[in-house]
Amino acid sequence: MTQQKNISFTLNGEKRSFTIAPDEKLVKLLRRSGCLGVKEGCDEGTCGACTVLIDGKAALSCITYAFLADGRDVRTIESLGTFEKPHRLQTALVEEGAVQCGYCIPGMILSAEALMKEIPEPTDEDIRVHMDGNFCRCTGYEKIWTAVRRVAAERAGKGVANA
Amino acid sequence: MSISDFRTPHRLDEALSTIKQLGPSALVVAGGTSFIFAPVNEDRVAVDINGAGLDGIRRENGGFRVGAATRLSALQKHHEAGWVLDRVAIHLASQQLRNMSTLGGNIARIFPWSDFAVALQALGATMVIAENGERQVGADEYFSSQPARLFKNGGLLTAVIVPAVGGGAGFGYRKQTQASFGFSLMTVAACMELEGRTVKSVRVAAGAGIPFPSRLKAVEEAVKGQAVKEGVFADAAARGLAGLKFKSNAGMSEEYIANLARVLVGDALTEAWQSAKGGAA
Ligand SMILES: Cc1cc2nc3c(=O)[nH]c(=O)nc-3n(C[C@H](O)[C@H](O)[C@H](O)COP(=O)(O)OP(=O)(O)OC[C@H]3O[C@@H](n4cnc5c(N)ncnc54)[C@H](O)[C@@H]3O)c2cc1C
Ligand code: FES
Ligand code: FES
Repeated sequence: MTQQKNISFTLNGEKRSFTIAPDEKLVKLLRRSGCLGVKEGCDEGTCGACTVLIDGKAALSCITYAFLADGRDVRTIESLGTFEKPHRLQTALVEEGAVQCGYCIPGMILSAEALMKEIPEPTDEDIRVHMDGNFCRCTGYEKIWTAVRRVAAERAGKGVANA
Repeated sequence: MSISDFRTPHRLDEALSTIKQLGPSALVVAGGTSFIFAPVNEDRVAVDINGAGLDGIRRENGGFRVGAATRLSALQKHHEAGWVLDRVAIHLASQQLRNMSTLGGNIARIFPWSDFAVALQALGATMVIAENGERQVGADEYFSSQPARLFKNGGLLTAVIVPAVGGGAGFGYRKQTQASFGFSLMTVAACMELEGRTVKSVRVAAGAGIPFPSRLKAVEEAVKGQAVKEGVFADAAARGLAGLKFKSNAGMSEEYIANLARVLVGDALTEAWQSAKGGAA
């Protein structure tokens, strides 16, 4: 018999409790908890649209059982910026014209954020290694990576990088 | 029918007793990324081993002891003399999957594309299994058929002992995919020890393009004892692979995969030789 179970974790900085089915995937839990910035694309671990940060590391919520999040720190795009107060990666993506349909963008931003936390001045190779699990079916990637390079350069106090 | 409940043991002994108590309904979950390929078709109770203290990389007797629940991203980001698994990890899928998947999960139940099944055979690693005490299983026995057989009665893979590569030895690794993130068409790893210009010992393993990841003993025999000169590895690859059966894959014919294998075996051997003579792994 499948029973509902309780778990708790920190979601976007707030400690919360959740009732889950043991086989529920984290993407479903997050979306029904109001985090609609988490996108479901392939649902099989390939496209990166469902990327969230678990303990600061990019992870795929479509293949993560929700129970594995118990006790951890989970962040979605909602914790980074809002419509009124966008995150610098969000404004940089807009300035570069790097967004078309936008479906891949929450995952892209979270992967980029995790990368820059770990490697403040990433090389192009670092960007490729950390972001090639985020597929974009519209843009061709170049403008997205330019935006990431630009934010990294700004944070390193080097002004606007000329990509 | 799927995961109907879960347990989160906080120590190894607690994990083992939970698995024992649950019997056949226990389902060990580490990164949990494999269940997309091997769906859970009956009611099972997940045993989350991530809190059981099975992660970390430490030096031991001149080699490395890697906890089974160590993330592949930790292998990727570990850099130290003698450590070569960073070169394997970085070519596996995407950063997200490397952050999630564990070394133990990659080899406790292997798929045709399992990269570490290839690398650990070439390195001659030793697997540590806990089940009524602890036992060590060498790579040849461990990978002789699906390793999941070893965990049927409630055992757990707890660590992998990985030899350090250096001091006249070198490691080579080649994995061919279509896109960077794709599944392998052919994966090859080689570990070589030199004595002067002569190959003193060599282990070569391959996966993905053949039915089951395994050592290429005929290639090893063709290389061992040879004095290294131009063309020796390409020749050994051609001779050693002649009798092998290859699998067509992703629209590539058997002939194509066979040719790919010859190229990659030659390249992995050359890379192992270059690092062996250069002194660095
Ligand atoms: C889209 C995608 C692409 C991938 N590409 C590749 C690739 O190119 N190359 C590659 O090698 N891998 C690849 N993988 C990863 C691979 O297929 C496995 O999913 C992964 O290695 C499993 O690791 P895990 O920690 O998630 O294990 P889990 O999924 O948690 O477990 C795997 C199996 O091992 C058992 N198990 C886990 N830990 C232990 C233990 N300590 N003792 C006993 N039994 C245990 C589990 O019960 C289960 O049967 C890919 C995965 C995905 C989703
Ligand atoms: S929806 Fe998760 S990787 Fe595609
Ligand atoms: S903008 Fe459409 S998928 Fe990336």
